[in-house]
Amino acid sequence: MAVAHDDQSWGPARVVPRHLRVPFILLVLCFATWGAAANLTDILVGVFRGIFDMSNFQSSLVQFAYYGAYFLLALPAGYINNRFGYKTGTLVGLGLAAVGGMLFLPASEILEYEVFLLALFFLASGLSILETSANPFVIAMGAPSKATQRLNLAQAFNPIGANIGVLMGAVFILPELTPESSKVIMNDAELLASQQADLDLVLRPYLGIAAALMLIWLLILFRRFDLPESPVPLGSEAKSSSTASRLWNNRHYRYGVMAQFFNVAAQTCIWTFTILYAQDVVGESAEDAGWWLQTSLIIFLFSRFLMVWLLGIFRPPLLLFVMAVFGVLCCLTAMFSLDVVGLVAVVSASASLSLMFPTIYGIALQGLGEDAKYGSAGLVMAILGGALLPMVHGAVMDTAGPAMGYAVPGVCLALVAAYAMFDLKNPRAAIEDAQAESKPGGERP
Amino acid sequence: MNTPISSRWRRSRAILLVGLVIFLSACSDGPPNVTVGLITKQEVNPYWVTMRDVAEDTAEDDNVTLLTATGTSDVDIESQSAALVDMVAKGAEGILIAPTSSTALLPAIATAKEAGVLVIAIDTPVDPVEAVDAYFATDNQAAGRLIGQYAKAKAQQLDLDPKIALLDLAPGISSGEARHRGFLDGFGIAEDDAAIVAMADTQGDRGLGEARMAEILAEHPDVNIVYTVNEPAALGALAALKAAERDLGQIILVSIDGGCRAIKEAVRPGDIDATAMQFPQNMAREGVRALARAIRGGEKPVGYFDTGVELVTGDPAPGVESRDVAFGVRNCWGD
Repeated sequence: MAVAHDDQSWGPARVVPRHLRVPFILLVLCFATWGAAANLTDILVGVFRGIFDMSNFQSSLVQFAYYGAYFLLALPAGYINNRFGYKTGTLVGLGLAAVGGMLFLPASEILEYEVFLLALFFLASGLSILETSANPFVIAMGAPSKATQRLNLAQAFNPIGANIGVLMGAVFILPELTPESSKVIMNDAELLASQQADLDLVLRPYLGIAAALMLIWLLILFRRFDLPESPVPLGSEAKSSSTASRLWNNRHYRYGVMAQFFNVAAQTCIWTFTILYAQDVVGESAEDAGWWLQTSLIIFLFSRFLMVWLLGIFRPPLLLFVMAVFGVLCCLTAMFSLDVVGLVAVVSASASLSLMFPTIYGIALQGLGEDAKYGSAGLVMAILGGALLPMVHGAVMDTAGPAMGYAVPGVCLALVAAYAMFDLKNPRAAIEDAQAESKPGGERP
Repeated sequence: MNTPISSRWRRSRAILLVGLVIFLSACSDGPPNVTVGLITKQEVNPYWVTMRDVAEDTAEDDNVTLLTATGTSDVDIESQSAALVDMVAKGAEGILIAPTSSTALLPAIATAKEAGVLVIAIDTPVDPVEAVDAYFATDNQAAGRLIGQYAKAKAQQLDLDPKIALLDLAPGISSGEARHRGFLDGFGIAEDDAAIVAMADTQGDRGLGEARMAEILAEHPDVNIVYTVNEPAALGALAALKAAERDLGQIILVSIDGGCRAIKEAVRPGDIDATAMQFPQNMAREGVRALARAIRGGEKPVGYFDTGVELVTGDPAPGVESRDVAFGVRNCWGD
């Protein structure tokens, strides 16, 4: 049953109404947890490569499983929310993710890479549903006038969780792994024992995440949420169809989806392969490599605040262009400076990434009005870039060397820069005028 | 009215007590502390620094008190002899030593063994080998064989008529002789094969390697395969080849060691075609573990323990198993 709320019914507008503080905190924990899980996965690529003695391409399937699940579950998640409400969506997401985390237990017994990929797929499927549910859930959790502030507050815990995820890997997994040099002199039985011991290290943080998810699941299950249970249903098929057509004909939006695809791809590539770059190109230990990734995420976190300030001074597409070019330069440095300078460049690329997702999101949806609701789904589904391009990055590493892999995020960021340039050179009003002239009686004024 | 509070307090105390017992029992689970010594040759060469670093990390993980000492050079017998005496006096129950002499340290080693101390020679053997409990080192002959096999396969791939130059260590040094034998074995030729056009001793030194290579090139400009006993000699030979403006694409340069400098500066760009990587990390890690295990009543280390060798190249040869440069960068020793 839908429950209407307005600013008045919530009394004096607070960011989070007093009676919803505990539910809000529970959802904030969800934001942090999926941040932790996502970035712990970045560490897994290198860990699995070592444990299963695989190529970079094979190990990058970790991200394919993770982001592929995110992509595939985005629409079913929307259906669950529309059909059963945000609370149900959140519970389904938490439950499925917890099952995924628990699946690491049999996976570490079976010792098959594919079973770990399956566990990751389940975990990411749950987190996809959770993310799709929790965002609007937070928006609905109080006065509409405070919705943006509330969502920003909740989302602030996502990068904190991301840092915790990497920290877990840097502290509990990477320093304890069997040294690669040690494996050189092991017999088959010793290798198997070391594989089991290393997979046990991987298991623990994921069981911890599963336990946290189950706890949050229980707390949300038994907590009363005085919120709209059935969100406003989607429009008719005819309306959706005409919206899709309008969106597709809008070049700012269409190219924006592509830019977001390449942005997510660049981000996933850069973070996924930071540890491998530190180890394979510079010769850092696994433990130190983990700290380099941690530094990268801290730069990302602080750059976000800096970018918010800079966006108040510069036009978003201009800043996007400058930072994308900076990212390209970082990737070029990483490709050709095969020492600590290259590693600093890899880590610094996080600064360029920090503004991209929200900025592309904003530019692409600018002026779309009601269509923005549908348009945002396309931008979220651009996460597919995070599933596909890391495999290309891994394949390039396998064939041309570990540093050359950074050509992939470099090209991705160059395409983001091209999108920013397109937006700068094609003011929206001119385009709309041109569209109106070419299509008299078109769907958009 | 006090009853519920006292009851809760008693329950809390019981929980705390149980927690404390679990904590203490967890703390006492570790193996008993033992004292082990490590004596290296010197600390100018990063090879020995890596060995000490890994020994310290292993000792920390395994509740071992590690005593360390080093000489001032590869021939500093006095410092090592004094370190042996000092470590026995400090209560070391096992000692790892990379001897600077195969024979001169035997009296000091015998004194340590008489005091009940286990002694493992690492990297370099003593003569007779029975003078120590065990010997942990690279199989130098296997290392030479790997680069010999590689050079042969690569020569066939490039369709070269082999003209081989051998840059050795020095006469009478067993590791250098074993590497030399291994290379010939791997290449499938005997000592007097006509393919060998030149041989020279370099002492494993870069400057001497460069000088000897320049002399060889002056006399035999058609040399197309260069064996070097270690990477400093290889880097010297490389400098001479570059100075002579030789086409490195038509010359096969192979070496043995696995130091980070050579891997990053010469193997990665393909100037050194392949190197057989040895693992001082394994000598230190396995040595500390073996001594600690034996001191705690476990199996006593005896005989020879192979600490491993891997061929590293950025340009694999058909039919020869090798590791890529990334493996080399990850596992090289030094900076």
